[in-house]
Amino acid sequence: MFLTRSEYDRGVNTFSPEGRLFQVEYAIEAIKLGSTAIGICTSEGVVLAVEKRITSPLMEPTTIEKIVEVEKHIACPVSGLMADSRTMVDRARLECQNHWFVYDEKMSVESVAQSVSNLAIRFGDSDEDGSAMSRPFGVAILFAGIDEKGPQLFHMDPSGTFVQFDAKAIGSGSEGAQQSLQEVYHKSMTLKEAINQVLTILKQVMEEKLNSFNVEVVTVTPEKKFHMFTKEEVEEALAQVVPLVKDDPLPSSSGSATKVK
Amino acid sequence: MEVLNSNFYGGKPTQLHFSPYEDNGGTVVAIAGKDFAIIGSDTRLSTGYSIESRNQTKLFQLSSKTVLGCTGCWCDALSLAHLMQARMQMYLHDHNKEMSSLAVGQMLSTVLYNRRFFPYYVSNILAGLDADGKGILHSYDPVGHCEKTYYVAGGSAGAFLQPLLDNQIGMKNQQNVERRPVSMERALNLVKDSFIAAAERDFYTGDGVHINIITKDGIREDRMVLRKD
Repeated sequence: MFLTRSEYDRGVNTFSPEGRLFQVEYAIEAIKLGSTAIGICTSEGVVLAVEKRITSPLMEPTTIEKIVEVEKHIACPVSGLMADSRTMVDRARLECQNHWFVYDEKMSVESVAQSVSNLAIRFGDSDEDGSAMSRPFGVAILFAGIDEKGPQLFHMDPSGTFVQFDAKAIGSGSEGAQQSLQEVYHKSMTLKEAINQVLTILKQVMEEKLNSFNVEVVTVTPEKKFHMFTKEEVEEALAQVVPLVKDDPLPSSSGSATKVK
Repeated sequence: MEVLNSNFYGGKPTQLHFSPYEDNGGTVVAIAGKDFAIIGSDTRLSTGYSIESRNQTKLFQLSSKTVLGCTGCWCDALSLAHLMQARMQMYLHDHNKEMSSLAVGQMLSTVLYNRRFFPYYVSNILAGLDADGKGILHSYDPVGHCEKTYYVAGGSAGAFLQPLLDNQIGMKNQQNVERRPVSMERALNLVKDSFIAAAERDFYTGDGVHINIITKDGIREDRMVLRKD
């Protein structure tokens, strides 16, 4: 497979004869190695959950930050190369603050996605806006937030293409998770139901056992805006997830967890 | 340097003046109420004792609910108004929505401050409706200081008219008076009376008045003649 491509997969500014940009496609492959992130957009707000891969017991789990606050009303879960995502999140924050400075209003979620997209496609040749990046970003990113249109969820891939979704999964478990989302999503979903569903689905696609250390949960609602769940809130949410998983035999810890209710 | 020190200037050091500004006069008055905003300008353009035009409005419609009144150096006013129109069109393309009056208000402030050391020589008053349909005015100094207010006069007769409005709408320094929101009829009459008063004493104001009445249903125009001397 790679032998046939080798002529055209070196540069980001050369199409293959079939009209493909292999480096961009490879970047899209790269994000399938990232940790799973799931978002559901309900009428009450957006729910986001991301798995944290704790690769060593000596690792400090709180230093892995997979969902970032762009502004009070916008949260971005990312999957893929975390270092690349920092550049994109920085741009999103900058654009938000600039919009506030010039117009004295909150930037809409779609406009933030658009501005980050403008950055994401600056690979290839340099132009008057500055020098080019040597490769596309290896990052899939969700833009979740509240604006004048209500709760919104956008997804962007390394090619800079962004699309609005009701529910979206990115990262290694995204295929299975997206299938599950399609089955469970309905327009009248409550926020609480959505929290249960993202955690249930994340639990199904994660290799590790889901606990309050290896998951990050954020809601963006009109009342609280960006809200990252504390360890206690995650535990409480996880306790309510267990009964929803029908075919999963109850883990031993569930006895104490269900007592919380 | 050779030329400056040669016989052309008599060999003496000579100071050259750069005067890029002109005051073309004109007055803008605006009053906002709970569901409307009225903004009016006179239609005279002058340079010193000469009248350049008797029929030039100083109002620029920026959106379906925002109007800019711009007096001072007329070339700066035109340039600024066109820049604002271009910036608002860009905003429409970037964000897929019309700019709110409040956003225009903030943008005008940053646009003016960007020229802090070579300012647009203009007095700006921006009239519009906020998100709830309530009238709102912004008034500016030439370098972008912005004040949100409900009645204001600016331009060559601004200093004459502001005390009149303070008295009639602001009820300043009056005791035992009923303070109630100004109605549209009263506001319109006050704007017209203000211009009649200004035309009497300020010779940079006269010829006619052009008024825009902004409500949620759109912008209505009104005109009135003033003394032409």
